Amino acid sequence: VPCVSGDLPKPTNVAFISINMKNILQWNPPEGLQGMEVSYTVQYFIYGQKKWLNKSECRNISRTYCDLSAETSDYEHQYYAKVKAMWGTNCSKWAETGRFYPFLETQIGPPEVALTTDEKSISIVLTAPKKWKKNPEESSISMQQIYSNLKYNVSIYNTKSNRTWSQCVTNHTLVFSWLEPGTLYCVLVESFVPGPPRLTHPSERQCVSTLEDQTTALEVK
Amino acid sequence: DGVAVLPAPQNLSVQSTNMKHVLTWSPVTVPEEIVHYSVEYQGEYESLYTSHIWIPSIWCSPTQRPECDITEDITATVSYSLRVRATLGSLTSAWSTLKHRFNQNSTILTPPGMEITMDGFHLLIKLEDLGPHFEFFVSYWRREPGAKEHIKVVRPGVLPVYLETVEPGAAYCVKARTFVKAIGRHSAFSPTECVKVQGEALPL
Amino acid sequence: QEFQFGPCRVEGVVLQKLWQAFWAMKDIVQAQDNIMSVRLLRKEVLQNVSETESCHLIRALLRFYVNTVFKNYHDKAVEFGILKPFSTLANNFFVLVSKLQASQEKMFSTRKSARRRFLLFYQAFKQLDREAAVTKAFGEMDILLSWMEKFYQL
Repeated sequence: VPCVSGDLPKPTNVAFISINMKNILQWNPPEGLQGMEVSYTVQYFIYGQKKWLNKSECRNISRTYCDLSAETSDYEHQYYAKVKAMWGTNCSKWAETGRFYPFLETQIGPPEVALTTDEKSISIVLTAPKKWKKNPEESSISMQQIYSNLKYNVSIYNTKSNRTWSQCVTNHTLVFSWLEPGTLYCVLVESFVPGPPRLTHPSERQCVSTLEDQTTALEVK
Repeated sequence: DGVAVLPAPQNLSVQSTNMKHVLTWSPVTVPEEIVHYSVEYQGEYESLYTSHIWIPSIWCSPTQRPECDITEDITATVSYSLRVRATLGSLTSAWSTLKHRFNQNSTILTPPGMEITMDGFHLLIKLEDLGPHFEFFVSYWRREPGAKEHIKVVRPGVLPVYLETVEPGAAYCVKARTFVKAIGRHSAFSPTECVKVQGEALPL
Repeated sequence: QEFQFGPCRVEGVVLQKLWQAFWAMKDIVQAQDNIMSVRLLRKEVLQNVSETESCHLIRALLRFYVNTVFKNYHDKAVEFGILKPFSTLANNFFVLVSKLQASQEKMFSTRKSARRRFLLFYQAFKQLDREAAVTKAFGEMDILLSWMEKFYQL
């Protein structure tokens, strides 16, 4: 049943939230209608093409987000999206995003960080974050394949000396040797891509202890 | 335009060190009055394509002091025209324009301040923060005959940067210089600093 | 830090500065472009450009931007209060054009295919109303900068 357009205020703060090319359209309920039984419908547009397209899974929905990752997966294209609110027989005008360019605007998630230690060293193996994919069976695409200039800022905190230092690397394995035995070190890694300003996502801080000094351990026995 | 009874500022000049550019001029003094100044600029593009348009300086339109930090106005390696005028209430002076256009490639580059520290057997360097224009070429070597010199390019950051894992009992020396991408020039090297690593030298 | 468009090398332009300048006005500028069904810098213009072709193409595009797009967008930049980022982009594009001019003698035979790509862009531009076309081209600088970034050696 067609609704009377314009009687409702529009949804607000309509924007894409994008991490590793997982592109979610998010919005806030119209002013004054929070908590009411409002439903929403979403459409999207590929810049340079001809018409607005429907997203069937986001027609008459009550949630205030819609996953458009599949529809916006060609990251070299640019997109618009819009959403309108419906309540009873009334509906709002469309609320539209600005032009969304996944290649420039997606946030780069942190790499996976694997730490192994021995007496005096910590080996760090980084695995580049993965691009969003539709089905788990699909083969993964690393964000490194998309951003060849992807770098990592590795910072290491020595809990005994209370000192932190950093290193910017492009390779995926690094070893900090000659560390102090029996000492807790904490590592934090951030992905970084030169280009327009992007929000960053540091990894979870991981702490690991170097083994006790074996020579003193033997003497004690 | 106001009648130009206010004298125009004189002796305009730019002092530029480490890509920080400051335009100065002789103050216009009117007893018991506060004179304000406005600074405007044109890049080469504006001079050629839109010569009637001048862009107000981000920090000095207006200002009370006879100087202006124009660092954030100069955003390309082209020559810039700069002009200043004085205002006092409704009175406005004529514009006074810098005699020679300014180009950031003339900036004076000084050797960077640096602090060499150790964390256990890790040689670290903390470099003076000179802003986003700067990279640092850090040269370091073990102090022994025939030692190989290593070069590492370090970008500005908050934390000390890891240089090398060092051996107990050995001595290591470090020096650094800046490189400015926008103008393709580097500074002289800083004085060399050496540190001795704690502990017994390893048996050969 | 320099651009290496095939045989043409350009120093003295910090791409990060251009990104910051465009990002400061992206929403304002792109909001003025109401013709969503037309993209000037389409994939056919910029995709799979060979190294040797890239110098011809970037020269033609940057010259067009300096002589036509920036020139005709200037009053809007004043109107929208974005003169400062506009000036940053205009002066840096001006540097690129003058330095690419200097490397002309290294041009190779790929001029024709680069010319065809530029004409794809230019014909789409000409089909639009002049003011709309200038606004659209100015708003597509993120596409241009993204392509230029592939030739930027850190």
